[in-house]
Amino acid sequence: MSRRPAYVILGAGVAGHFAADALRQAGFDGQVLLIGAEPVRPYDRPALSKGILQGTKEPQAIIFQPEAFYREREIDLVLGRAAVEIDPAARRVVLDSGKSVSYDRLLIATGAAPIRPRLPGIDLPGVHVLRSLADAEALRAGLLAAERVLVIGAGFVGSEVAASARTLGRDVTLLDLLPAPMSRALGPELAAVYAELHRAHGVDLRMGRGVVELRGRDRVEEAVLDDGTLLACDLVVLGVGVRPAVDLAMAAGLDVDDGILVDEHCATNASGVYAAGDVATWWHPTLGRRIRVEHFDNAGEQGAAAGRAMAGQPEPYAPVPSFWTDQYDTTLQYYGYPVPWDQVVLRGDAAAFSVTAFYLAEGRIVAAAMLNRPKEHRSARRLVAAGAAVDPAVLADPDTDLRALSRQFAAG
Amino acid sequence: MPGPTDDYVRVMPAADVAEEEIYAFEVDGELRVLTRVGDEIFACDGICTHEYAELSEGEIEDHVIYCPLHGSGFDLRTGAVTSLPAVTPLPIYDVKIVDGEVYVSRTPRDEGEA
Repeated sequence: MSRRPAYVILGAGVAGHFAADALRQAGFDGQVLLIGAEPVRPYDRPALSKGILQGTKEPQAIIFQPEAFYREREIDLVLGRAAVEIDPAARRVVLDSGKSVSYDRLLIATGAAPIRPRLPGIDLPGVHVLRSLADAEALRAGLLAAERVLVIGAGFVGSEVAASARTLGRDVTLLDLLPAPMSRALGPELAAVYAELHRAHGVDLRMGRGVVELRGRDRVEEAVLDDGTLLACDLVVLGVGVRPAVDLAMAAGLDVDDGILVDEHCATNASGVYAAGDVATWWHPTLGRRIRVEHFDNAGEQGAAAGRAMAGQPEPYAPVPSFWTDQYDTTLQYYGYPVPWDQVVLRGDAAAFSVTAFYLAEGRIVAAAMLNRPKEHRSARRLVAAGAAVDPAVLADPDTDLRALSRQFAAG
Repeated sequence: MPGPTDDYVRVMPAADVAEEEIYAFEVDGELRVLTRVGDEIFACDGICTHEYAELSEGEIEDHVIYCPLHGSGFDLRTGAVTSLPAVTPLPIYDVKIVDGEVYVSRTPRDEGEA
């Protein structure tokens, strides 16, 4: 008497969806349970800060697949339910409905949750975060009614929200302790270009500034900055980062360091338990170190890699990480490893917001960011994958044929 | 077999289609593109299936066309998605060369057809 094995995926976000799909593509024919806390089928999360906020996309349009997709693949969707306990010894998870679900293999793809800094007034109505579709719909409604918007944190989400709010015609202040938008990820050179971009679109940039208090009677009315300035606002968006959702994993005794520690096959230290996406801190075999990546491309690709590994087709997961950000009428594509660099080479015309940045460590290209330079994406990616050592003057030279140059290096 | 002028539209001389260059054209008001990989010419929809972006602004590498916006990749031979964020395949159109001219089918190839 044999029972169909049950593979359970906790988290029906990007990683969870692509893991379930990959399990079936790899030929796994046991039970697949995809359990998500949000009440909607998996969707294209990056669209929240752009299309959904701006109203150019309807929520229905960003859902990855119709219900039939899951039905045809016998993927059981359990939506609106979160796990409250993982018991690796008994191989079961307990849901917030009280139901207990047994698994033969488990994928934790619970993502990350927005950080809410401990700040007086943080719980006032009118203070938003952006992570889920419900967050985005609430924020859009808030933006439509708001006049003065304060975005705290100029990372990717904060910068995109600021751009969307400006596009909707709101007065926008974008504030960060850092010297320029997204400067931690993009470096000061390219971040300076984004500072100009936001200024050119009328954003009131307050860089190198913090907020010490939010005030208001019934809802948020003003922010107190760390230099004592009072800033009137009727809507605040917190974009100060996320924290991986590791609490259940920690309670279950899984190894956690920032994210849930997994090897190059997405396996945790607990037998039969895997993790992928924003929640996973993974061993990158090419880099020879652990990294955690909070971007769509990784969630999708690592989710799929985890699905294949669970189905018995493990392959080392060793991508060149990538992400994009769209702000106003610009698009930036980034390929590269989240490692320190010691030199940035710009190519193109920063004043025209058409520029490629190459990031070098000890003379080798470790990352590249292309702002409105689509014809350089694949060449730059090849150079990054090869860890190419190229003379910075050659990289910066507009007459250099990047395509020909990149093909001199063995592509990874 | 359909004749070259009814179900197919003439686009350009085959000799003018350079390797890895992407040429936009319109059929019945819809944007399409064609490109050459080695000896073969391929045609597909001109708009990415993920978000609105014109694929003529993108790139070709091996047999994949990459979207200029977010890097979605599609296999020119099948339309299959080769890299995220797209999840929907790209419609592919049959191509034939008649008297040195590239003709592209008006209607996309059926899904699953090789």
